Amino acid sequence: MVGYIVRRLLLTIPVVIGVSILIFAIIRLIPGDPAVAIAGVHASNEYIEQVRKDLYLDRSLPVQYGIFVRNLFRGELGVSTMSRRPVATELRERFPRTIELTLAAMLIASLVGISAGIISATRRYSLFDNLSMLVALFGVAAPVFWLALMLQLLFAVNLGWLPATGRGTWRHLILPALTLGMATAGLIARITRSSMLEVLRQDFITTARAKGLAEKVVVYKHALKNALIPVVTIMGLQFGILLGGAVLTETVFAWPGVGRLLVDSILARDYPVVQGAVMTLAVSFVLINLVVDLAYAFLDPRISYQSQESE
Amino acid sequence: MRKLWLVAAVMLVLMPLASVFAAGTKEEAPAAPRQELVIAIGAQPEALDPIAMASAPAATVGEHLHQSLIYMAPDGTLEPSLAESWQAASDGLSWTLRLRQGVKFHDGTPFNAQAAKANLDRFLDPESKAPYRFLISEVSAVQVVDEYTIRLVLNRPFAPIISNLSHSFIGMLSPASLQSLAKGEATSNIVGTGPFKLVRWDRGEQIVLERNSEYWGRVPTIETLTFKFVPEDAARMVMLETGEAHAVMRVPPADAERLNANPGIDVVYASSVRVIYAGFNTQVKPFDNPKVRQAMNYAVDKEAIINTILAGVGYPSTAPVVPAVFGHTKVGPYEYNPAKARQLLAEAGYPNGFRAVFHHPTGRYLMDSTIAEAIQSMLREVGVQLELQTMEWSAYLSFLRKPPAEAQHQMYMLGWGTVTLDADYGIFSLLHSSQWPPTGWGVSYYKNDRVDRLLDSGRTTPERSAREGLYAEAIELIWEDAPWLYLHDEGQINAVRSNVEGLIHHPLENILAWDAYIE
Amino acid sequence: MPAPDAAAEADSTSLGAAAGRNEGELGAVVRHLRKNRTAMLGLGIIALFLLCALFAPFIASHDPIATDLGNALKGPSVRHWFGTDELGRDLFSRILFGARISLGIGLISVVIGLVVGVPIGALSGYYGGKLDLFVQRLIDIMIAFPGILLAIIVVTILGVGVENVMIATGIASVPVYARLVRGSVLSIKKLGYVSAAKALGIREAKIIFLHVLPNCIGPVIVQSTFQIATSILWAAGLGFLGLGAQPPTPEWGAILSKGRVYMRVAAHLTTYPGLAIFLMVLGFNLLGDGLRDALDPKSRKY
Repeated sequence: MVGYIVRRLLLTIPVVIGVSILIFAIIRLIPGDPAVAIAGVHASNEYIEQVRKDLYLDRSLPVQYGIFVRNLFRGELGVSTMSRRPVATELRERFPRTIELTLAAMLIASLVGISAGIISATRRYSLFDNLSMLVALFGVAAPVFWLALMLQLLFAVNLGWLPATGRGTWRHLILPALTLGMATAGLIARITRSSMLEVLRQDFITTARAKGLAEKVVVYKHALKNALIPVVTIMGLQFGILLGGAVLTETVFAWPGVGRLLVDSILARDYPVVQGAVMTLAVSFVLINLVVDLAYAFLDPRISYQSQESE
Repeated sequence: MRKLWLVAAVMLVLMPLASVFAAGTKEEAPAAPRQELVIAIGAQPEALDPIAMASAPAATVGEHLHQSLIYMAPDGTLEPSLAESWQAASDGLSWTLRLRQGVKFHDGTPFNAQAAKANLDRFLDPESKAPYRFLISEVSAVQVVDEYTIRLVLNRPFAPIISNLSHSFIGMLSPASLQSLAKGEATSNIVGTGPFKLVRWDRGEQIVLERNSEYWGRVPTIETLTFKFVPEDAARMVMLETGEAHAVMRVPPADAERLNANPGIDVVYASSVRVIYAGFNTQVKPFDNPKVRQAMNYAVDKEAIINTILAGVGYPSTAPVVPAVFGHTKVGPYEYNPAKARQLLAEAGYPNGFRAVFHHPTGRYLMDSTIAEAIQSMLREVGVQLELQTMEWSAYLSFLRKPPAEAQHQMYMLGWGTVTLDADYGIFSLLHSSQWPPTGWGVSYYKNDRVDRLLDSGRTTPERSAREGLYAEAIELIWEDAPWLYLHDEGQINAVRSNVEGLIHHPLENILAWDAYIE
Repeated sequence: MPAPDAAAEADSTSLGAAAGRNEGELGAVVRHLRKNRTAMLGLGIIALFLLCALFAPFIASHDPIATDLGNALKGPSVRHWFGTDELGRDLFSRILFGARISLGIGLISVVIGLVVGVPIGALSGYYGGKLDLFVQRLIDIMIAFPGILLAIIVVTILGVGVENVMIATGIASVPVYARLVRGSVLSIKKLGYVSAAKALGIREAKIIFLHVLPNCIGPVIVQSTFQIATSILWAAGLGFLGLGAQPPTPEWGAILSKGRVYMRVAAHLTTYPGLAIFLMVLGFNLLGDGLRDALDPKSRKY
């Protein structure tokens, strides 16, 4: 177990390095002079030359990469060409808001999805089952931005129950989190259901029932724990998808997070911000994956054996 | 089972933690005070420092914070602002302005002749690279006569000087703050004399202003004024309907009727000093040929655009400036005649049309991207294939304003509001060959010697009737040469909640809130 | 991340049965699929869109890019079945032609994913060792990275436009196939066929192409079906953000984005494109579900 954890932690390092190389490459891959990309199209020539000097852009790539990494450790992510503020400041302001949205979405998705999945599994083929699976399918297939617009139209504009855009009170969080969580809720519901059905078929369940245990005990105490293993795995993976979906959701609901910042800065050719935003998202993903993997290790003792598969 | 709850509990804890970290930047829900006004606009100011301001969104916010020497009222008359009176010398080579006394900047320092001189010098300093320096570039020196009098010494008689001084971009900031403002960088330390003070600027989100209780004029009823930046038209309208915003600018014409029918909302139609056009880079093929440019003008049906896309708001351009501007002469519009367009293209050597790239902003002008698409479609009918490219506003401005050798645009959409109501501002700044970037805004790189001479005379001739004649001739030449695809004179469509009174819908495309109050 | 990939798991047991690759096997799969009604529904939807895409020029009532300013924002009528957009263009025709774009992007991105991802996964799984460890890590991270973000990054570098969206979604699909095939290859290795073949002296390349790869086909097909759906969603998302097809190209996401402004007066501009995206994605999902069930011998027993 400990070996697994240590191994997992160590493996994160090359991944982060790989991500940093990718980020580093982005600006250099864009057609044109990287100094202009970083300084901004409206910068004065002196400023562009300054940037070229500071980042050693006329030296070899490995040297440039070294400077890039050194700056990363110092927390210097560059300066936005639009607002002229440090990228790190912009990210520090906006990133927690995206996390807030994503966590809320994941919470809603898990609660709704798992409950629906359990009920569907225990009441197989009932009206609830069919209906909820239908809704789940809808959530998975419907484009998240369309869903966002429809929900906004219904709840904010026509019914006026919730604010339409922006961020402020907890009520502002509901629509975006609901929208973002729908697809994941659908997925979780489906997987919970099939996983539960799978587990409920197993011998040890039959044994438990034969022993005369109450159905509720059988379901919740014995079946659920095992059934949820694949679900937790999916939840970890879904976090990534949620971060991606956050980009679209933030646009529709004018939620001032990193997703929207990314899109705005791409359209504004504000490459330092693009670089910083992508870096933040990538690193947070790696970390989340790490956390989920470690949590998974606690849940399923089979892991330590599976991890030797790659040899 | 327990371990699962552990995972869930971790998540539940993380969420409020994230909120705690974000708490510093979280906006509190409005509490009891009623006089908190929220205005939603579509584009963010690129800067609030006068030497970096370059567009109407900047002016809309800036007008509340800092003031110029002279104020242009909505009806076009020039009123005293920080300057109480002004007098030209008999030879027209200098102007003496008496300044208002007892005015303090937001930081408590007094406004006086030294402060005015500091600001004007800074604006004129070539090092400041102010994009609008041309407004007063004829001023060779600013002299302090006494504590509350300054004298502007001119190179030549400059007729538009007083109307130019009313421009928002020549606002006065406190000299103490000028020290701390780094040159050419956007910053939040804007200390002016205006009815509102800057509280904070959350980039990409909003600017929050608060009432200046020491204001030299009528202190506003509104206590807190917030400008929110919401580029998506639909989102902006929704904010108005739910009451999140009290006023919005640039209502999509398609929504105007519906919003007006809403008892809680009033739609306001206001005139504007802005013309919308599609400019050509006259230094590159095929737009170096006037016949091609004229053909493009004949190929676009401006009436149809106004009637359908703009729901009838606006008028086809009859000149490069709107009729309200001094110096306007009716020389247009170019009628819609695709056959003539094709003929002209053939004469110019493009019988099968050509391909070009058309750059346009999105969310800056009324229905800008839709109009660009309509133009694309109409031009396709005469064989011209346009590729549309859009950009965010501040990036777009920098993209356009390059010296001709570095220019990457072929055709571009832009608007120009002649905010001084003087043809000099509307035409000289854009079409005089001395105003090519990096100096000014002549991004069509248009050069016509005769026009140049006419415009030069127009600036230095004091008599109004003589000036009118000069501009009339210049406008005729410019119309023929067609460095632009003349589209329309814009109209403004704003909307306000019915319980808000006193907002000024200025033809300079500003919403001004200093007389407003919420019932 | 050691995630139990359902398809890969099923694969390890179906290999024994599928190793033979005989006609009876294929027939059994098809039969099972035909009996699954929701899968058939999915297939039907896909077929419908395919027909629309292929015969769009014949079915469309109008030219999809011809504007008619006088008729803008009209609701559905006899002349315009789905109504018109803000420039008077016929929405029905635009949606038909949009099907071409969406399907095209979906198919091309899957092709790119296959062509690049399968060899990577196969070689990595087959040779194992340090290379495999490195590739596995890389793939794990790329898979977890939100596909749409990856696509956005690629579009940032390459620029906007339909072709670049295809490349972007293709690149984002590569890790999915790589991981899938790698998993399959590893399972096959365990079964001993590979060592047996090597012992017999068969050339490595032949082993890979003739023995290993054919057994991965099942899960690859299933994954492709789902991946087409995912790519279509990514492409629509990019179009919605304005990073995809440029005007006047009638890409569904872009139509929705433009139509947003008119949501209150002309809801059809958001409803129909959204519905189209939804149905197409649904179709591929339903088919994919059915294929997965059909290829899994455990369920095929019933």
